[in-house]
Amino acid sequence: MTDSSSVQRNGVVIDATFAEAFPMKATRIVITAHTPEWARHAAVSATGFATSVIACGCEAGIERELGPHETPDGRPGVNVLIFSMSGKELGKQLERRVGQCVLTCPTTAVFAGLPRTAGGDVAALGKNLRFFGDGWQISKVIDGVRYWRVPVMDGEFVAQEDTPVVKAVGGGNLLLLARDTDGALAAAEAAVAAMKRLPNVVMPFPGGVVRSGSKVGSRYANLNASTNDAFCPSLVGLVPHSELASKGGAHAGIGCVMEIVIDGLTEGDVAAAMRVGMQAAIGIGPAGGLLRISAGNYGGKLGPFHFHLHKLLGVGDGP
Amino acid sequence: MSGWNLRLRQVPAMRVDLRGITPSALAELSAAQVEQLPVGHGNELIALAELFDIAPGNEEGVLRLEGNLERFDRIGWQMDAGRIRIEGHAGHYAGGCMRGGELRIEGRAGLLAACEMAGGTIDVKGDVGDFAASTLPGSMDGMRGGTFVVHGNAGERFGDRMRRGTALVHGGAGAFLGSRMVAGTIAVGGNVGAHAGYGMRRGSIVFAEARAALPEGTRPAPTFVPNRAATPVFWALLARDLARHGGLFSDLPMRRIERHLGDLSADGKGELVVCL
Repeated sequence: MTDSSSVQRNGVVIDATFAEAFPMKATRIVITAHTPEWARHAAVSATGFATSVIACGCEAGIERELGPHETPDGRPGVNVLIFSMSGKELGKQLERRVGQCVLTCPTTAVFAGLPRTAGGDVAALGKNLRFFGDGWQISKVIDGVRYWRVPVMDGEFVAQEDTPVVKAVGGGNLLLLARDTDGALAAAEAAVAAMKRLPNVVMPFPGGVVRSGSKVGSRYANLNASTNDAFCPSLVGLVPHSELASKGGAHAGIGCVMEIVIDGLTEGDVAAAMRVGMQAAIGIGPAGGLLRISAGNYGGKLGPFHFHLHKLLGVGDGP
Repeated sequence: MSGWNLRLRQVPAMRVDLRGITPSALAELSAAQVEQLPVGHGNELIALAELFDIAPGNEEGVLRLEGNLERFDRIGWQMDAGRIRIEGHAGHYAGGCMRGGELRIEGRAGLLAACEMAGGTIDVKGDVGDFAASTLPGSMDGMRGGTFVVHGNAGERFGDRMRRGTALVHGGAGAFLGSRMVAGTIAVGGNVGAHAGYGMRRGSIVFAEARAALPEGTRPAPTFVPNRAATPVFWALLARDLARHGGLFSDLPMRRIERHLGDLSADGKGELVVCL
């Protein structure tokens, strides 16, 4: 919700509002392969259809690509972050995705990407996938870590036994309100590019950007989320609570809104990503078509993590 | 936990059983109590002070034994924490059934060193006798965890029935290396005797010395089959771990390997890894 205390940066209005995020469970896996291309193929597949927990079971994305000196087996690799609403669901998604997209992909191997803490939760990685070996699978304990070696047609698929699961934060977001599609895309692309340079976060939607921002609930009983009508330019004048209604100034002339959703391993990671994302978008400015930045909140009913935009930019203490 | 120094007075007439003399067992005892600890000497029990000059040590949790202890058996038996350092040779069963901590032997060890070891680290600078890292008579499993490093040579039946853990021999090993092995890793730097991997079900035996084929003793074994499939991931992980131990193992990550799978007469899921 906005109020009259909005501030401007580079001519872009920053709403006095906050992004509302919620707790999730997360893990990081390292996918390696003979070449960076094959690691990427596996990672892209494994993170496919993992945009929103509303219907996907998990939210996942490629965190960054790794050089051979950064991976357990000295081959090129990719870091993937996977988030889910519970440890059980995360384990289920992990098994399906690694089993269908990494095990199947030529030359790949998969490892845990988070440090193990005593007594911490874990999710199975190779522990259950090993049965694909039909009895020919063998385990190898190296330096206290168990790996499974599953015979496959190009040699063997190596998977670490399990991967640590940690508490995480999902649903950090920015709403980029622009004059038109070009301006919204330019701002969103700049923000995503800046966020991707940070560790511990992923933007799970296609290209990191979502055009179908949602609100909680629906007029239809079988839907738990529906279009964020308050930010739909096509509904200005039709929706009484539109955030884009003609209040003049920055509210006028907004023809396109894009959202960026951020999942991070910690609250600080999400905050840092939102900060650099906003700064990058602000750099686009009204000249590039960006008029206003807002965020999605649901009156504090969605989750306990509140990322106040003004506070992130160092403007006072925020609302 | 305080440390202790035990200096051997003279070589005893008969073999001595030092089981129970571990850092954690001595940690809370006074000097007088340590001196009166009973140890087996032949078929009688004598006080520890009859064999050693006993003094508190400077290093916390370290039990230092000085002298030729070749007649002292079961040093570090069932040890679970702390460190034992033997500045000399050790007798039979050194580190047997050890569960944790560190045993360091500056000299050589006798028969059955690290037998049924389950955890911790044993480092022997010299040679070890037969049946090291193997099983006690009548038991099903040999070494079942931890790290066992022999800087010298090993006797016969090294790693017999070994189930888990890592055992390295910088030198050579006798016949029946890794016989009836269930799992785990054995790496050998030097030559080995005949029948390496005899009856092995799973596990890896790595031959680190550069050679173009299997060691002489295993070449004729008809129950192993050559395998040419690429296993770069497994080898990268294992070679990096073995390279930490230096010597012939230090350049393993850079070397190509040849694998032979078997023993087909057992389960066939073991492997002999020859470094080229």
